[in-house]
Amino acid sequence: MPDIFIAEPKGEVVPKETKTTFEERAISKQKLFSDEESLPESRNPVHLFSAFKKNPDGVTFRDQEKNEKILLFIRRSFITNIKWILIGLLLAILPLFLPLFLKSLQASLLFLPIKFYLMLGIFYYLFVATFWYINFVTWYFNIDLVTDKRIVDINFSNLVYKDIATTELSFVHDVSFSQVGAIRTFFDYGTVLIQVPGATDAFIFESSPQPENAVQILDSLIRKKNEPDN
Amino acid sequence: MNPITKLLPLIQLGFFIKIGFLTADLLFIVFLAIALRQVFSMNKIVDESNSSSFIKTAAILLLVIGISLFLTALVIL
Repeated sequence: MPDIFIAEPKGEVVPKETKTTFEERAISKQKLFSDEESLPESRNPVHLFSAFKKNPDGVTFRDQEKNEKILLFIRRSFITNIKWILIGLLLAILPLFLPLFLKSLQASLLFLPIKFYLMLGIFYYLFVATFWYINFVTWYFNIDLVTDKRIVDINFSNLVYKDIATTELSFVHDVSFSQVGAIRTFFDYGTVLIQVPGATDAFIFESSPQPENAVQILDSLIRKKNEPDN
Repeated sequence: MNPITKLLPLIQLGFFIKIGFLTADLLFIVFLAIALRQVFSMNKIVDESNSSSFIKTAAILLLVIGISLFLTALVIL
């Protein structure tokens, strides 16, 4: 009589299959994690006029540790530059009105050869360009960084003053922000205050864009850092 | 009156303007050199690979224009 069903011997195939499945799962899990690690994070490239970037790309600072990631990059809001931009523009167009001004005074400056005026003109515009450049560089190098380990506050002004302060996230006592005035509210920038016990001065992020967002990020980082596991 | 005597105050004025201009330009070059030094120094502290070259180039360009202006003024004024 032909056999309709032949039972496979127990204890050989089933455990082997189970073992294989576990191995496969383990391998696939390992692969999944390695894939996750190799996936590029949502990094945001920092450009010339960037003032607020989460997970900034292309920024490094001195004394940065190998496994230290910058999570937040803050400069003063770009709108705070409007004053010097307008002053520079005014200085740039001022010589165009000089002949009209002299005409109204019925005076003349044309008693020297033209080459003198040419040189003075070039020198004047070099001065205006330098005025713009110095103000831009002052804004450009005033940077606040928040990494997964610490806060770095870089202050730079008038070419001769620079001040760098850092503090560990676990030392931060309190984070708050203030946004006072119509212009600050409209352009969404304000002052972020980070209090560190024992420090003579609190860490201040002046005219930071999206201060509420910055405080939220800082707060969650500090909480994570102060959890018992960390 | 001799025309040279007439022109003398003007020549003297031109000379003083030249000296004044060259001095001012020289001081300005020193200032730009300090600016360049500070920009490079700050760039070592915090480096933005996307825009640091622009900042450095602008500083060098301003310094080169300043030096060119000084040399040109030295020759033509």
